[in-house]
Amino acid sequence: MKEIIHNVFLIEREGKEILATKSRYGSHYGERKIGEFREWIPSRSKLAAMFLKGHIVDIKPNWKVLYLGAASGTTVSHLADIVDEGIIYAVEYSAKPFAKFLQLAEERRNIIPLLEDASTPWKFNGIVEKVDLIYQDIAQKNQIEIFFANADMFLKKDGEGLIMVKARSIDSTAEPEVVFERVIEELKSRFKVIAHGSLEPFHKDHIFVHVKKTK
Amino acid sequence: MKWNVWFGQVVEENGKLIPKKSKNLVESFKNASNPQPLPFSLPEIGARVFGSVEEYYKTLRKTALRVTSEKVERELRREDRYVILLLKALDKLNESINMLEEKLRDIEEVKISETTKEFEKEIEELKRLRRKIEKEIEDVITKIAPNLTEIAGAVIAARLLEKAGSLERLAFLPASKIQILGAEKSLYKALARMRRGRPAKTPKHGIIFIHPFIRTLPKRKRGKMARFMAAKLAIGAKLDYFKGELDESLAEAVRKKYEELRREKEKPKQRENDKKDKKRQKRK
Repeated sequence: MKEIIHNVFLIEREGKEILATKSRYGSHYGERKIGEFREWIPSRSKLAAMFLKGHIVDIKPNWKVLYLGAASGTTVSHLADIVDEGIIYAVEYSAKPFAKFLQLAEERRNIIPLLEDASTPWKFNGIVEKVDLIYQDIAQKNQIEIFFANADMFLKKDGEGLIMVKARSIDSTAEPEVVFERVIEELKSRFKVIAHGSLEPFHKDHIFVHVKKTK
Repeated sequence: MKWNVWFGQVVEENGKLIPKKSKNLVESFKNASNPQPLPFSLPEIGARVFGSVEEYYKTLRKTALRVTSEKVERELRREDRYVILLLKALDKLNESINMLEEKLRDIEEVKISETTKEFEKEIEELKRLRRKIEKEIEDVITKIAPNLTEIAGAVIAARLLEKAGSLERLAFLPASKIQILGAEKSLYKALARMRRGRPAKTPKHGIIFIHPFIRTLPKRKRGKMARFMAAKLAIGAKLDYFKGELDESLAEAVRKKYEELRREKEKPKQRENDKKDKKRQKRK
């Protein structure tokens, strides 16, 4: 058993190494509970896939996080295990998955749920504070533009960003590699790109981009 | 300067920032909007209102939960109804625009005047409204039925919803029914013929026919494609209704099937069947 970052572990299970977070809470999306750990399934969560692909972002327990595209809370539930002394502002614009998300938000003390459109950050600028990390998983054509708008509004100086990009939602006709290159160039124009990489085989034609605000 | 924050307002007086707590937190939470980044730390200023940072977060969380669950409930109840009614209004609007344009042309053939010009302007206005309604339908249907929209596109997804009556009813329809939604007339005609013991074919497709994946295939393959798409739509409708999250593999499978069918050469056996069909028709 190895702790990668606060509350995230690689544990041996039936001869295989699996990712899990240490949690006081029960299963949220059907994941296995192993003792005090909740299995973190990489095909369900892009953040888990990123960790398993070897890119470790040292998310601190007291970080404030703005999470865009919270959906039903699969990834948020694990992130909430990690930032157990911090706060997650979770934004989602679709009511249906958020109904399930609310069960999670009721249970965890560090989640603030917001049913809002991520592309209009001014509408929740007065609720969300300055944050250390913006995590974005929204699969929209102009998702980088949306990321910039939110970073301008909420990201601390030296704050970081994690952006999950699905090639097909940006441009369904172009080759994924071409799309990814364009996205990374666009991000480079305003941020320092620390790392990027594919999420295969867990998520097809997806990449993560890890950026840092420098000015 | 003055800022709207979730617990009320923050006002700048003589260079000092003074928080003012609102009487109704739910109201002020909904109005917490500012065009520019805030020049102060929310929890720091908020702690002055609530006594401590812990108390600040506790109240924030409580208010957010309350507002959000209310919003979620309201949206879930109404949105599918909203799309259906918008769609019905859109159909009427289309009829009206066509009818008015026809009348305008009739008048203009006789004489063009100030009045006809104004008439034309008003029709343009209606067309603008039409675009607006179309956009709204697309936005809402993408939100409440992401899977149906991904598979079939916004227009077909909205039409299916209209025919079924609600997202709930659509979710409980079998694929075979979804396949022929919108072709009820020819279906019942075929069934009536069959009942009388006469040969008849049930329709291959209803609304979903307008999807390019079906329309662009040769006739022989359309039924296959329609059946496949309907099966995926049936799964999609259930996902949309019960879960509300997008499963990309559905649309992916439909795309694959289309590519497959498009490339597939007609099999010799099929051609034989063709001949038999023709012979049978001749005999008739």
